[in-house]
Amino acid sequence: MKKLIFSLVAVAAASAAPAAWAGAPLELKSDIFVEKQQKRPDGTLATKLVTPNLIIPGDRLVFVVHYKNAGTIPASNIAVTNPIPRAISFSGTSDGNEIVSVDGGKSWGKINQLRVSNSDGSSRAAGMADVTHIRWTLNQTLAAGAAGKLIFRGVVK
Amino acid sequence: MLRNHISGSSQFSGAKTRRYGVQAVLFLAALSASPAAYAAGTLAGTDIQNIATASYDSGGSTVEIQSNPVVIKVDELLDVVVVSSDPGDVTTTNGATDAPLTFRITNNGNGPEYFTLTPNVVNGGDDFDPALSQVVLDTNNNGVYDPGVDTVYVAGSNDPLLTPDQSLTVFVLNNIPASQNNGDRANVTLAATATTGTGAPGTTFAGAGEGGGNAVVGSTSATGQAGGFLLVEAASIALVKSAVVADPFGGTNPVPGATVTYTLVATISGAGTLANVAITDPIPASTQYVASSMTLEGSPLTDASDADQGNFNGTRIAVALGNVAAGQTRTVTFKVTIQ
Repeated sequence: MKKLIFSLVAVAAASAAPAAWAGAPLELKSDIFVEKQQKRPDGTLATKLVTPNLIIPGDRLVFVVHYKNAGTIPASNIAVTNPIPRAISFSGTSDGNEIVSVDGGKSWGKINQLRVSNSDGSSRAAGMADVTHIRWTLNQTLAAGAAGKLIFRGVVK
Repeated sequence: MLRNHISGSSQFSGAKTRRYGVQAVLFLAALSASPAAYAAGTLAGTDIQNIATASYDSGGSTVEIQSNPVVIKVDELLDVVVVSSDPGDVTTTNGATDAPLTFRITNNGNGPEYFTLTPNVVNGGDDFDPALSQVVLDTNNNGVYDPGVDTVYVAGSNDPLLTPDQSLTVFVLNNIPASQNNGDRANVTLAATATTGTGAPGTTFAGAGEGGGNAVVGSTSATGQAGGFLLVEAASIALVKSAVVADPFGGTNPVPGATVTYTLVATISGAGTLANVAITDPIPASTQYVASSMTLEGSPLTDASDADQGNFNGTRIAVALGNVAAGQTRTVTFKVTIQ
């Protein structure tokens, strides 16, 4: 049995490797920022995105996923998936084009189409706080050298 | 597991989660259940890790890639709340020792924290200041001060350690002066402060937080205080006098020659003890005291000033009751004849 498993893994690796060399290596880079209120000289408050050196429950975080086609040929059918960290309560994306999962990535849809099961067997409409994964499907081909970014927000529970 | 591998993973590692072990974590992930919810939120020291994944088609194949993991650590919020557990004034008595006031301290922060306790018996807005006896931690957690069982608090030595959301009952024991007036109140406060530090909300102590992060003072300024009141309820005495007439003809008419039996009932109420209680009652005009008719609690007293409690001096009876505790009564009777 052990031998069989190893050989399956080897096949999987072999099939993935040539694709990566095919010429369109997509690069993904994840960043986290925190919104901090800063006082302007005139006393009003400004919200700034800063490096998260200090994070406490209730802080609003901004997650940025940069993507770039670092290769020489186009990439298509791009889907970017981001599980929401457990300690984060999802509060939306900047574009609103995402689909979400509220069951750990099993089923997907727009949030207003999803329902969450209650312990008593009934169900209720899903809310932002139920979201476990978000996914963007880019409906255009990404040309070689092209790049973009996807942004979502969350609050530290 | 395969699905997890494809979609990448967001990890949540905190002290609380680690205890569950690998299997439990996977089980929770499958149900997409949330970790235990704390009032103050995510535990200090928890790492928030984000990884994005992408799949795309290129050159006739589907490729899956992961982003770099970004990890940030949740810092420790310092917050504490102290409330008085007493529903109202706690009644006590003159000269009482170790009269307890009860407080409850709650760690509203998101990390385990030691707290320094500071009692204060010298406050305004009251009638007197008791003497501080001790501060005692309710170590058997039954909400009641148990002398010799609960641990005496020594600042800096056994400062209580409270985990997030954990509460502890603390007793402040007071000694009451011997001669306060009935109804006098004393305000006693207890303050709890985070040992990591206090200050204006937002004050930061770099590297001092749980799990190696920073510690940040929360909205409570990392200190809490509450006050309770002790109320001196001195003993008081009420005297009720009644009379029963027996006339020489077997009736109850107050005619000359009739005998009147007076009953004096002294009721001590409140709390504590009344010292040197004495009852005197002048013999009414136009009546004559019936010799040796005094009784105390049904036992006869002699009329002479001697070892027993009663005496008659020709114009009044007097009964010395000595010290009488609250809640007790003393009944004195004597007889006169109508002239």
